[in-house]
Amino acid sequence: MEAKTKDLWVFVETNEDGSAKNVGIELLAPGRDLAAKQGGALVALVVGSNVEAAVEEAATHGADKVVVVDSPEYKQFSTDAYAAVLTAMIEKYGPTSFLMGATPNGRDVGPRVSCRLQTGLTADCTALDVDEETGCVCWTRPTFGGNLMAVIMCPDHRPQMGTVRPGVFKKPAVTENKAEIIREEFHVDAASIRTRILEIIREAEGENVDLEGAEIIVAGGRGVGSAEGFDVLRELCDALGGTLACSRAAVDAGWIGHAHQVGQTGKTVGPKLYIACGISGAIQHLAGMTSSDYIVAINKDADAPIFGVADFGIVGNLFDIVPALTAEIKKR
Amino acid sequence: MNILVCIKQVPDTNEIKIDPVTNTLIRAGVPSIVNPFDGYALEAAARIKDNDPDTKIVVMSMGPAQAEDALRECLAIAADKAYLVTDRAFGGSDTLATSYILKSAIEYVESWEGKFDLIFCGKQATDGDTAQVGPEIAEHLGYSQITYALEVQQASAEGIQVLREADDCNQVIASDCPCVVTFTKPSFDPRFPTIKRKMAARKATINQITAGDIPGIDLTRAGLKGSPTKVKTSFVPPRKEGGVMIQAETPEEIAAKLFESLNGVHVI
Amino acid sequence: MSQYNPVTPEVIAELEKVVPGRVVTGAEVNPDYARDEMPIYGTRMPEVSIDVLTTEEVSGIMQVCYAHNIPVTTRGSGTGLVGGCTPICGGVVLCTSKMNKILGYDLDNFTVDVQPGVLLQQLADDAMSHGCMYPPDPGEKLATLGGNVSTNASGMRGVKYGATRDYVLAMTVVLPDGRITRMGAAVSKTSSGYSLINLMIGSEGTLGIITELTLKLIPAPKATISLIVPFEDLAACISMVPKFKQNHLNPQAIEFFEKEILITSEEYLGKQVFPRKVEGAEVGAYLLLTFDGDSQEELDNIVEQVAEMLLEEGAMDVLVADTPPKMKDAWAARSSFLEGIEEQTKLLDECDVVVPVTRIPEYVVYVDELAKNYQFRLQYFGHAGDGNLHIYTCSNDMEREEFLRQVDDFWNKVYAKTMELGGQISGEHGIGMGKVKYLAEAVGEANIQLMQGIKKVFDPKMILNPGKVCYSL
Repeated sequence: MEAKTKDLWVFVETNEDGSAKNVGIELLAPGRDLAAKQGGALVALVVGSNVEAAVEEAATHGADKVVVVDSPEYKQFSTDAYAAVLTAMIEKYGPTSFLMGATPNGRDVGPRVSCRLQTGLTADCTALDVDEETGCVCWTRPTFGGNLMAVIMCPDHRPQMGTVRPGVFKKPAVTENKAEIIREEFHVDAASIRTRILEIIREAEGENVDLEGAEIIVAGGRGVGSAEGFDVLRELCDALGGTLACSRAAVDAGWIGHAHQVGQTGKTVGPKLYIACGISGAIQHLAGMTSSDYIVAINKDADAPIFGVADFGIVGNLFDIVPALTAEIKKR
Repeated sequence: MNILVCIKQVPDTNEIKIDPVTNTLIRAGVPSIVNPFDGYALEAAARIKDNDPDTKIVVMSMGPAQAEDALRECLAIAADKAYLVTDRAFGGSDTLATSYILKSAIEYVESWEGKFDLIFCGKQATDGDTAQVGPEIAEHLGYSQITYALEVQQASAEGIQVLREADDCNQVIASDCPCVVTFTKPSFDPRFPTIKRKMAARKATINQITAGDIPGIDLTRAGLKGSPTKVKTSFVPPRKEGGVMIQAETPEEIAAKLFESLNGVHVI
Repeated sequence: MSQYNPVTPEVIAELEKVVPGRVVTGAEVNPDYARDEMPIYGTRMPEVSIDVLTTEEVSGIMQVCYAHNIPVTTRGSGTGLVGGCTPICGGVVLCTSKMNKILGYDLDNFTVDVQPGVLLQQLADDAMSHGCMYPPDPGEKLATLGGNVSTNASGMRGVKYGATRDYVLAMTVVLPDGRITRMGAAVSKTSSGYSLINLMIGSEGTLGIITELTLKLIPAPKATISLIVPFEDLAACISMVPKFKQNHLNPQAIEFFEKEILITSEEYLGKQVFPRKVEGAEVGAYLLLTFDGDSQEELDNIVEQVAEMLLEEGAMDVLVADTPPKMKDAWAARSSFLEGIEEQTKLLDECDVVVPVTRIPEYVVYVDELAKNYQFRLQYFGHAGDGNLHIYTCSNDMEREEFLRQVDDFWNKVYAKTMELGGQISGEHGIGMGKVKYLAEAVGEANIQLMQGIKKVFDPKMILNPGKVCYSL
């Protein structure tokens, strides 16, 4: 495909209730920069059913235009429907670049679209820029489990496509002007959707606590003091989208179930962020979490061994610090 | 039923080290393993076969000659037959080129193995981490796909039903066959190979498929030539600095400082 | 107990002179220091705790305590299973965890100098990075080397490589009166007076405090592989054990366990690794084996031989764990047996007997039969290769007093049988305080008197770890 414009498109994925998933709005931030450097407009593509809320959000966070495809067959994500509509819109408008959130759905449909268009897709990017010489997008991404970063370009094929993980960029500020809204009609008939969602299962807390797959973990130890004490940690978890964990001391004291235990006799975890609250940092606990990317320690005792492995340490009362942190996150 | 499992041999990322002088990855001496996600795909196929012994499991890998070791491991665990797709012309392929080559090899192999009802892959390889080849193979073949599969609940030549991991919940999702399914880590671990299978695997023939074997393959779509994405440069990410103590007057200020710090390193 | 003095502010002041700012007292003392991993034997908070850093300060502290008759108990990670580091008379607890440096390797002579607080896992990993292996491999990887040496805990590689005792060449010891002495030497053999170092090894912190160790290493094997061998029942499983040596096969480790304890452990870990059925038949017991060799080919040949023998002699199958992640999985379940039992059990006691390898089958049958006369449940596993069994008595519904009474009766009979078969009452956990009453019966009057005499020579004021090993208070 040849690019018809110098525009940069951001795919704004929606939820079944018609609201925008955060990542799509987040991508409008780097999108703004890149579009300017490429000399084109920033266009948000919103697809879903009853998506006025998402359109409004996209329109007021920096997009120049919002292209909307709003129809019942897009309410639930399916590879076939979304691959079709994305491809159709890209072929019609011919953007030079296309950003998507690296959500499970994004990573599902992104490569189908890039393959259908015989173009290049760079997955899971952590940084974006434009190469001065060629005007192409430079996509920076982790390889080898994050041990090596690669900078990728897609010089000759269009659109240049990339997926970006949620949380890498912050949502841009709300803008005064609203984007131009363009409503597109594109339908996919039910027969061409080859997958069917039969059931949605949400896990009750504590049953299958997925610590090993968690990206963010908030853990409590002896310093939490009681079963109720864990409630402030649960609130922080909710605000961060994290998983609750604990040290052996808390389990032995009966405050929380063993399924949450991290350590030598519990689970071994490697999240992006591990927040240890009231945990002293006994070697048995460290054995389970030192491969976390970033460790935050909150403890009253300045000599607690946990501060030896923490990237960010706070000497203080977790019952003051943790609620303050929860409040701070909710503000943003 | 015929199941194809696509696998890749990757370096063991737990053992990867950085050369402090040149600031590059040390590749020598790093053990090679079967990509763990492909291991989950093979285990899923093996479980189907546990229930239906007439199932045939074929494993295929695109890679250099040493990838044979990975294929033999798969034979020892559960596979019945193995194919190595290997040719200098394939080197340097990005995901689009790789998926095209695999698709061509798959169609070629199907001409005597029979059509594959299911094609299983790991969701991503732990070296490239792109998670693109599976869906791209599905696109080239025009098949439906299910990604982020945790476990197969039902499978037959008529269709497959899978437990899938979504954003904030799990889904039970079904598709007709043929279908490409990519697997992520389930709650169970892949099985151990048995000694009988290991000894048989050691003696087994691994069939090699080169560019010349595949009729009609368009080599301009393979290798560097066929790769729309190019690596401009690579670098080792800067090491984290030592621990920082965050201090301030009030908990609110501490929280704000912490938030900024974490935001600065893209963690929240 | 009346022979000891309480820790007075005057004593604390003198201790402060030795380790300024690091004398921890009263409510500040870490509650973990009151006990080890078997609280059933009793717990007691010390009056003072000090995390020591150097030989000199240990000497200074001992001089103060010796002068004032203050009891002193040493601890490392506190992972002991017989109450060995429980300070039953209060006093001072010295914790060696911060003495955790690996001081240096002599790779020409294959030795390494370490501080006593170095963890087993720490040395194992570090030695590997130097191409060496420290063969003793107790199950508790986060125990300190000081603790290992104090109990002569050898672990799972004993069957091929021998005991911890064989790998301790020299040590620096602080005696109860504060004198510092060096025992042993970094040489391959010696006949230079009584072997004091061999008295220290396994003395469980009652004769002196180890502040530095010189350990022997061996070149690391180039390749290792683990095999999981399922059997229909324990008898078939155990009877396999002597056959390895008979067939000139030299496994690095041979662990055996019944299916109950495996299920407990896998439930605890939340992960199923071992097959419960093979070709439709239920598995009753397992052998977990590790072989090592100088090359992959050598190992492949060994494994073929072993597999042939196993299958011929009645194993249901042989599963191969030959990649690091698979080996880790295979051994993870084994490593969590104790934690798995602990999690499910309210009242727990254990013993750690050792019998000649060929007598294991009849011993296990005896113990199983005997256990039927009691209310508690039995779970056990062991280092089959050196005849060391870890037997756990478990109950969730008995009264504590009744449990202790029944268990005591049981151990008496169990130990008597052990001695009858030519064994001993502890293979590696030691005597501590939990097994003192059984030791006299097991070793005999003359030997106990010799042990008590030796204790008096090392520790005339009896202040070091009182009430352990060869006498009770």
